[in-house]
Amino acid sequence: MLTRRQTLAAAMAAPVAVPLAAPRLARAQQGQPYVVGTLFPMAGPNAEYGGVFTAGVQMALDHIAADRMLGRPVELRAQDSQGTPQGGATGMTKLASVDRANYVLVGFTGVSKAAAPIAARAKVPMVNGGGVGPDLAGLSPYFWNVIPLVNLEVRALLPWLGRSGLKKIALIYVDDPFGNAILAELRRGLPEVGASLVGTFSVPPGSQQFAAVAAKVRDAGADAVYFASYGAQQSQIIKQLRDNGVSQQLLTYSGATLASVAALPEAEGLVFTRQAADWSSDDPVTKRFVTDWRAKHGGDPGSYHQNYYNGTRLFALLAQGLEKQNRPVDGDGLRAELLRVREFAFVGGKASFDDQGCVTMPIEVNKLQGGQYVRLS
Amino acid sequence: MLILQLLVSGIQTGAIYALTAAGFALIFGATRIFHVAHGATFALAGYAFVGLVNGGFGWPLACLGALVLAVAFGLAMDRFVYRPIQRHEGSFFTVFVAAFGVTIMVQSLIEIGFGRSFAAVSTPLTRAHQLLPGLYVAEVFWVAVAAALVLFAAVTLFLERTRLGIGLRALSENPELLRAYGLSARRLSMIAFGLGSALAVPGAVLTAITTGLQPSISAQVMLVSLAASVVGGIGSLRGAALAGLLLGVVENLVVSVLDTQWSSAAGFVVLFAFILFRPSGLFGRAVAR
Amino acid sequence: MIAYLLNLATLATVFGILAASLNLLIGYAGIFSMAHAVFFGLGAYAGAQIAMLLVPDVLLACLAAAAVAGLLSLCLALPALRVRGEYFVVASLGLQMVAITVFSEAHAVTGGHGGLVGIPPATLFGLNIGDPGAFLLVCLAVLALVLLGIRVLMRGSFGRSLMAIRDSESAAKAFGKDVPRIKTLAVGLGCALAGVAGALFAFYMAFVNVESFTLEQSVLVMAMVIIGGTATLAGPLIGVLLLLLLPAGLSFLTFIPPTEIGAVQQFIYGLAMTLLMIFRPAGIAGLSTGRR
Repeated sequence: MLTRRQTLAAAMAAPVAVPLAAPRLARAQQGQPYVVGTLFPMAGPNAEYGGVFTAGVQMALDHIAADRMLGRPVELRAQDSQGTPQGGATGMTKLASVDRANYVLVGFTGVSKAAAPIAARAKVPMVNGGGVGPDLAGLSPYFWNVIPLVNLEVRALLPWLGRSGLKKIALIYVDDPFGNAILAELRRGLPEVGASLVGTFSVPPGSQQFAAVAAKVRDAGADAVYFASYGAQQSQIIKQLRDNGVSQQLLTYSGATLASVAALPEAEGLVFTRQAADWSSDDPVTKRFVTDWRAKHGGDPGSYHQNYYNGTRLFALLAQGLEKQNRPVDGDGLRAELLRVREFAFVGGKASFDDQGCVTMPIEVNKLQGGQYVRLS
Repeated sequence: MLILQLLVSGIQTGAIYALTAAGFALIFGATRIFHVAHGATFALAGYAFVGLVNGGFGWPLACLGALVLAVAFGLAMDRFVYRPIQRHEGSFFTVFVAAFGVTIMVQSLIEIGFGRSFAAVSTPLTRAHQLLPGLYVAEVFWVAVAAALVLFAAVTLFLERTRLGIGLRALSENPELLRAYGLSARRLSMIAFGLGSALAVPGAVLTAITTGLQPSISAQVMLVSLAASVVGGIGSLRGAALAGLLLGVVENLVVSVLDTQWSSAAGFVVLFAFILFRPSGLFGRAVAR
Repeated sequence: MIAYLLNLATLATVFGILAASLNLLIGYAGIFSMAHAVFFGLGAYAGAQIAMLLVPDVLLACLAAAAVAGLLSLCLALPALRVRGEYFVVASLGLQMVAITVFSEAHAVTGGHGGLVGIPPATLFGLNIGDPGAFLLVCLAVLALVLLGIRVLMRGSFGRSLMAIRDSESAAKAFGKDVPRIKTLAVGLGCALAGVAGALFAFYMAFVNVESFTLEQSVLVMAMVIIGGTATLAGPLIGVLLLLLLPAGLSFLTFIPPTEIGAVQQFIYGLAMTLLMIFRPAGIAGLSTGRR
């Protein structure tokens, strides 16, 4: 199976690769840098993510340079996606046609959807390490996800829920494909573990007042509250639920692995899923990442740091493979290499990619205790 | 009980809206300046409070810091933005756009200075306790209501009983009276901006400890202030305060019948209805020209 | 580079149409709408639905978009007839906020926050114009038509009546002008043209969702018109170029730390709005003395 795919991929790559090989190699000898682009929101309500994502990319680039993994230096070009489709499309066009990016890291659903067709036309691989909506799978052959999509996270939480004895769950969710995926997954999965949804409350993404939602949640008589939101809104939901008399167990997904959430006293006891991250692991890639991260940032890294580190590392691994085979580092080459290798040594352990370029990684259930993440399963 | 609970949350939100909207209405009533940067005043005050508390200063000092910054910002807007524009006889829309520009600037400065994440001060004051079965009320509720009542009474007294206050009320309508009283329009406009901006501070501090702040809060506060002062009747302090309360209550009560998604839109539906059916607002005098 | 320039040019053209349509309201009719992104959005959704359900014909999509946006412009015309000045600005803000919630909730039509994906490449009378260059030409042609139309209209009796109402509604009424009809028509026309811009935008992006039709977008378009200069033909276009190229230009400045680039951009955008209003309240293309 693997060999057939391999040849198929090679055949796909061949016609483009051959004519381009010569000039590309010539350029390589001049030491022209590879360009890794980022397309993150850098202003507005979701801009906290832009900073977090960039920090992960930056550390990976430092490591790539220190290890001399590639024959050419790697340069970072940042474009502000403004968190909007239009900003995403403009930023992506610029990255593809002006900055000549070899590889672009992206993070938001609306941005990704608008930018993916442009990246596909220019054959620039785009890698998402932040958005978890299932509508991000298979946007184009050049759109990959290094973050497990959210259905996987909900599925990983269910066994824990079954054991915990929490039967009645209320859901607060942002009404978009991501939130609706969580709704669908809970609706389907909860009965399997003997639990049920007793109330679902959708909120607009920009909303900042949750006292009324809290009242409705209490009214629904839930044992636990799952919330599915992102950015600063998560902290507001947690604080206002706690302030307004919701003392039940709070549950959520990996979006809560933000420093601002961990620092929030009200978030104590929050249970959430995230990619397996054993920071005490002996795995060399993980160990180095964690050691250097602590030295540089004075704290433990979060999932997004990990994902964007991995996303950037993926480029280096793929390009390294192509360089060794003396093949050009372009979109088709990178894609062929991804589908050929499939399994990569990432921070957090081995990761494998499926045909659509979506990663599968082990997911674990965590609890926030004293500002630290404690593993439950 | 749900209705009662929603009413309580609504009054708490509404008290904050009322104070902020009253500040806006005070400025507009006296100077006829559509001070949309009032939301920026609010954001600055809130962030100053959070910054000072996190910096280890006590609450009284932090509130004072917020107050100073808010008043300074209001005065600076009057002096450096509105006055030059009025000298050019700019239309109200020119003022509007300029103030909007300042709001955007303030928001990006906050982002650079404080980061983009959520900022709040945690305090047991905001933790609700069960008052009746199913009815949770936090101490902050009484603080908000008391602050709104006391400040509103104080401002009303000031406007109706003092020479300066009467001058403020006369500023927009009867400049003759000012001259008779020997007051300068410029000084009165400064007082209006200072006082109006100061009225945003309690709301900002209460928001910082209850819902928490984001850099984009200024836009939201601006919208609420505008909506409240229109519903209340532009320039009417009493109207703006009542309308602010009304908007807070509506936003909360509406979720008992509609999906939670519609909560904030409901306030604007009320606004729209008022404009169509009672454009003079709750306490409005004649409709705008 | 060429692809990037084509992208900027197409966006600028689409926004040119949008700004010109808003100028009809703000500049000529004196109706200060802060809800223009709503009609842009209505057009985009209508155009996208036509393209996805029927045929991706630009002309048909534009007509449908204009019809939908024009009809629903009654939501704006009603308050415009009732109130003026600050009241109307606030009313339009309210409309904008309600419309955003409606856009995000009406999943069947708008796709909610997920948006409408996979809008097919545009055709015109069966001819494929999905190519960026060809599409830019079509957009430019539409822009030229819109500008020509506005110019002709504003020089005619309709334009004169409109401006008379803008300057003094009571005087216009005294002269026997049918104020409500003229105002409603002006609002309808401005919004319909915004709808056309929306349909073009939908084809160009091949993806639309509610994030493109927010209050920020309304403010941006309003700033384009005001900064460029109201009630002039060139003003809105200058404003578009300035405000669209500003972020694009700033992104070439590499000394700004990448994490702060967004905030710096926003800051300059705000600063430009404020300074222009203080020192050139009539806009760049406007006469420096008059305010309109």
